[in-house]
Amino acid sequence: MVPQDYGFFIDPQRCIGCRSCVGACAECGTHRGRSMIHLDEMDRFDSTQTVPTVCMHCEDPICAQVCPSDAIKRSEDGVVHAAQKPRCIGCQNCELSCPFGVPIVFSGLEQMLKCDLCYDRTSVGHKPMCATVCPSQALLFVRKDEIAGLRKNKPLRDFLIGTIRVKTKNAIMVPDPETPLHLDAALLIDGGF
Amino acid sequence: MSLTDRLDLELRPLLRAGLSTLALCGLVALGNRGGRWLDPALLGYLLATLFACFGVAYRYFSWIERPATRMYFRHTVQTLLSARALKAIPRMALLALDQMFLQRFIEKRSLRRWGAHALLAWGCMLGFAVTIPLVFGWVRFTSEGLNPNRYQAWVFGVPAGAFPLDSAAAFLSFHILDLAAVMVIAGCVLSLIRRKQDEGDTATQRVDLDLLPLVLLIAVSMTGLLLTASEKWLQGRNFATLAFLHELTVILLLLGLPFGKLFHVIQRPAQVGVSIYKAEGEAEGRLACKGCGAPFIRANQRRDLGALWKELDLDGARHGRDIHHLDLCPKCKRRLVARAQGERLQGAFDPFATIPVHAEPIPDPTSMKS
Repeated sequence: MVPQDYGFFIDPQRCIGCRSCVGACAECGTHRGRSMIHLDEMDRFDSTQTVPTVCMHCEDPICAQVCPSDAIKRSEDGVVHAAQKPRCIGCQNCELSCPFGVPIVFSGLEQMLKCDLCYDRTSVGHKPMCATVCPSQALLFVRKDEIAGLRKNKPLRDFLIGTIRVKTKNAIMVPDPETPLHLDAALLIDGGF
Repeated sequence: MSLTDRLDLELRPLLRAGLSTLALCGLVALGNRGGRWLDPALLGYLLATLFACFGVAYRYFSWIERPATRMYFRHTVQTLLSARALKAIPRMALLALDQMFLQRFIEKRSLRRWGAHALLAWGCMLGFAVTIPLVFGWVRFTSEGLNPNRYQAWVFGVPAGAFPLDSAAAFLSFHILDLAAVMVIAGCVLSLIRRKQDEGDTATQRVDLDLLPLVLLIAVSMTGLLLTASEKWLQGRNFATLAFLHELTVILLLLGLPFGKLFHVIQRPAQVGVSIYKAEGEAEGRLACKGCGAPFIRANQRRDLGALWKELDLDGARHGRDIHHLDLCPKCKRRLVARAQGERLQGAFDPFATIPVHAEPIPDPTSMKS
């Protein structure tokens, strides 16, 4: 069971693109050899900004709702696990439906894998691999009561896509967490990358 | 969901499961000539099998009522009922051979996992292929006439060959279940060793869901082997007790079939339907992401997921300009989160500005181990 007084705090603005998290993630026991963290470039031509993405562990995961084989389960501690190996049929519904673009379906393996908060580590009192190695603390796993002393920004766990509200276990750092973070595609199209 | 809908949802699978069990009862009676060839010693197994049939059918019909499952189930049924079936059926047969029997997708996950699973699965398939016809009375062995040295096989009450008791065919007939038991035990032991050594499995496995079925399969196989040992080397000592124990473990396994991990055996064929669905989607082509323009989603899956999201009350996930959240590729969704956070920070791209500068190294703020 992951300790409930700890939280995962993500701040893409702090990412320096060192890829330490990508290497470390592949060491996780639940998906050994395969990195589940995504490190994307915002705009390779114009910017050096990179974006690390781990699973946000939704309260009512859409990936689980669209799974035909009922293979995606959320444990009592709020962790949404990778698809159960005996059940996953590799249909990609989860990969295409996740609001944050997290799951990866490996063709041939017929298996969805995703960040599961390094459950083999966090359930026995260790930090997730990525948070352990992140030098700029863009990925930070600390006690929830410590974050206020470490950051000016505050954790937000509430997202809005159109009219759909998505609440998560992991948090993203913003100045005003009272308002949900509106994920509006216009930001991509108008703002470009 | 209204009460009528809810009742309908719960009654429909019950009704279908009841009809399936009745159909099986009919087939059993037909195959054993109205009970004439039924072996009374196997009656307990028969009742447990019929219960398992009801339970499995109930869970199966409940499962395909799930909107996401129905999406693929409907597509597979439509394919089989259309002209496409001519092309799809041979392909499905090959896929079933690859995915259900050879299970090569597990080999790609891990050779060690595949080895254990193949032994376990093939042992179970062999065991069920032998015992189910015997329990149903579809296959039976008797002495050939008055000759006690020759065995006569009967299939659906029709003579299907005879063989001497000291022949290879007799040895195989009497010991094929021993072979299945050895395969199952080996597969289960290898699985248990892997589960003990794999950190990921150790962290997520559950005793009732992951370990109990393996222990139960070992118990069934061990008691089965002990029956042979008792008959061969112990002059039948404790045979009745062992037979009772074997029956008990088999009945427990059958009763647990609909509820536990072993139900994945019934779910797995859906993978064949999904493979056909994907192939048809590839032929139709992929749609481009409305964020970056890269092709990413198969046209048929975009249509069906749109309908599924609507059914799940998720259709509000629209961005305006006719962009649904499903129209964005996973990479654009990830970048959108960072973009939205950047907007919220009002362009302040200096995340370290507000952090106090420490002359001393910053201590690890957690008490957790790194």
